[in-house]
Amino acid sequence: MDALILARIQFGLTAFFHFLYPPLTIGLGALLVITEGIYVYSKNEDYLKITRFFVKIFAINFVVGVATGIVLEFQFGTNWAQYSAFVGTIFGSPLAIEGLFAFFMESIFVGVMLFGWNRLSPKAHWVSTILTAFGSALSGVWIIVANSWMQTPAGYKIVNGKPIMTNFLHVVFNPYFPAEFTHTIMGAWEYGAFFMAGVASWFLIKNNKDMVMRKALKVAIIAGIFISVVQIILGDVSAKEVVKYQPTKLAMMEAQWHTQKDAPEVLFTIPDEAQQKNYFAVKVPYLLSMLATGNPYSKVMGLDGAIKYIAHKDHITNLKPSMFPVDAVYTTFHIMMYIGFYLAGIMLIAIILYWKDRLYDNKFFLKVLWYSTFLPLLALEMGWCTTEIGRQPFTVYGLLETQNSVSKNVTVPDLIISITMFVTIYLILLSFALFLFKRELKGRLEGKDETNTKPKEA
Amino acid sequence: MSFQFLQILWFILIAVIILGWATMDGFDYGVGSLLAFIAKDDREKRIVINSIGPVWDGNQVWLILGGGAIFAAFPQVYASVFSGFYLAMMLVVWLIIFRAVSFEFRSRVEDESWKKRWEIVITVTGLGIGLLLGVALANLLRGIPLNKEHVDFESLFGLLNIFAIAGGLVSLSMFLMHGSAYLVMKTEGELQKRARNYGTKFAYAYIIFTIIFLLISPIFAPRLLNNSLGILGDILPAIMLIGAIGVILAMKSNSDTRPFMFSVLSIVGTIASAAVGLFPDIVPSTIKSSYSLTPFNSSSNELTLVVMLIATLIGLPLVILYSIYAYKKFGLKVKLDEDSY
Repeated sequence: MDALILARIQFGLTAFFHFLYPPLTIGLGALLVITEGIYVYSKNEDYLKITRFFVKIFAINFVVGVATGIVLEFQFGTNWAQYSAFVGTIFGSPLAIEGLFAFFMESIFVGVMLFGWNRLSPKAHWVSTILTAFGSALSGVWIIVANSWMQTPAGYKIVNGKPIMTNFLHVVFNPYFPAEFTHTIMGAWEYGAFFMAGVASWFLIKNNKDMVMRKALKVAIIAGIFISVVQIILGDVSAKEVVKYQPTKLAMMEAQWHTQKDAPEVLFTIPDEAQQKNYFAVKVPYLLSMLATGNPYSKVMGLDGAIKYIAHKDHITNLKPSMFPVDAVYTTFHIMMYIGFYLAGIMLIAIILYWKDRLYDNKFFLKVLWYSTFLPLLALEMGWCTTEIGRQPFTVYGLLETQNSVSKNVTVPDLIISITMFVTIYLILLSFALFLFKRELKGRLEGKDETNTKPKEA
Repeated sequence: MSFQFLQILWFILIAVIILGWATMDGFDYGVGSLLAFIAKDDREKRIVINSIGPVWDGNQVWLILGGGAIFAAFPQVYASVFSGFYLAMMLVVWLIIFRAVSFEFRSRVEDESWKKRWEIVITVTGLGIGLLLGVALANLLRGIPLNKEHVDFESLFGLLNIFAIAGGLVSLSMFLMHGSAYLVMKTEGELQKRARNYGTKFAYAYIIFTIIFLLISPIFAPRLLNNSLGILGDILPAIMLIGAIGVILAMKSNSDTRPFMFSVLSIVGTIASAAVGLFPDIVPSTIKSSYSLTPFNSSSNELTLVVMLIATLIGLPLVILYSIYAYKKFGLKVKLDEDSY
């Protein structure tokens, strides 16, 4: 294996592991703002108990997120030095601004939030919870600014063969930013809602008279039904942006090898990259054309057409169909999409059951909710794979190829050492995080009070 | 504002951010390093850990900001140094990863051996980061073999020379001194007495290592002799020594806060000396001086530097405001309660 493949594996692994955590920080953070807000205004102690219990899990997730995130700030330089030198003058600023405006806010106020229960008035504490959640969402804004710029670069011109910034606002509000940001943040909130719903369901399966967890489930499904429906709409908006700006990605997402009119949506297939064919394809006629353009008879660009389009538009002529990982992009995209529909369906059933007052003692459905706890996370990861793998063979779409982005001085042995270490460390962290998560669930079941984690000290 | 002025200003701002990190996160690592030696029982260990408990995470952002600011302002420096120091950077990352989870994980399970293990992690990561900061800075001061395309092909072992190890001992003793001074400020009674004692010892160690480093620097890094500020640059390291002597004297007084202030002064002296020593280079090349990276050949374009400057002028005061609020809420002396680690 060459250094390029290994560097890509390392980036994929470290980003994948990191992305297991921040969505919960953002999503659960937003729900905690709601539950603590209800407590502050209604003085109902149950909502304080919900908040304090979930804050304990939030804290575990938060530190692992911080720990796994550090490498991402440095990895562009260590492994992608050519990329960093090429686009750093544009790409670096959103990362620095993220640190300055978002990450500081989040990280300073999370300390106040976790340790300040006895030092602040309920309202002041709520404010620190809000700032933590807001800071984490704002982090998301700047990270997505950086990522969406790699998808649809804007606000630059090429001088001496390198892009330099000409308009900061165009960099920030590049074409893909609004759709990608809203779709990602909504995904994080969806995960937050399902997480709270799943955990509350677990407790209700054990004891359906648990009034605190009944309230938690109620909050989670009311938030969840709005979020999961809006998310499907946002997904459609995002896909339409891809149609407009990244034709090769769309062709990969839909396993669309050849440009055609009246394009069918391929609901299921096993794409064969060598033959450029779809096996076992299940199709709905006209649907892809309809979704992509609003017109069922319209022409949709396939991989062959998209390659020609890029050759014409960006003057990149060395692209071949074999450079496009259709298999991975098609599969991850469809897993994400189906999970998205499933989640909205589940929330709809939950709301109906709640309406008919049959939610809390429906053990079967509570189990479904519990088993769905981490499904939004899977959808988020799959969506991220679609975005990133779908951008291949570019790091900056139409501007810089992945093979010209990697560090020249990082060797295969270097990478084997670092990948081995990352895998080991991240598996240790993940298993510890899950172990501690389960412990908190069991601890509460055994009657440990939500508001106390340790015996009081004099 | 001319472009050249902006480039120099950003060199200074990066130094200030690194100073912010060394001052704010420096005591976190120092306190962590001391944990295994200074605390006698679980209660004392908890006091030591909780002295930084609510704030370490915010402090760590200075490092993230440093990485981002170098990336944005001097992309070529970010690319050349981080890839050139590949395995060393990875080591730093792994240490920080374990440090970041150690406090939270330790406090979650009431079990002697579980806690013991995480205490070792806290101490080892603190010592490791303290050492590696100086190793990195000393290597930069000496210069690295950047070729014409600003790429450094040296291996990890190239970084481990006597000069770098001397630099590592300077920064390690500095963080240990700083951590002790911080604990003097945050604790009371026996624990505080021990912190005063350790602080004095590490201040002496810092003075000795600094003098050794200064004495051998003409041999390993002759370029330091013609530094950018001339004679003024030569006497700048005196601030390091004045700070450390101040720490030793203040440890003998009954002031709880003065040792920390002097410790900050010696960190200011250290980072300022390193910055002046590097300038007008950021990364000197040992192959040919024209291959060196300077603020003028490695910076982003003017617009990026202006945008970043505006962001910094708005953002940094906010950061200081949040920090003051957080530190005030938790008071000067550590008080454990049921939410503490």
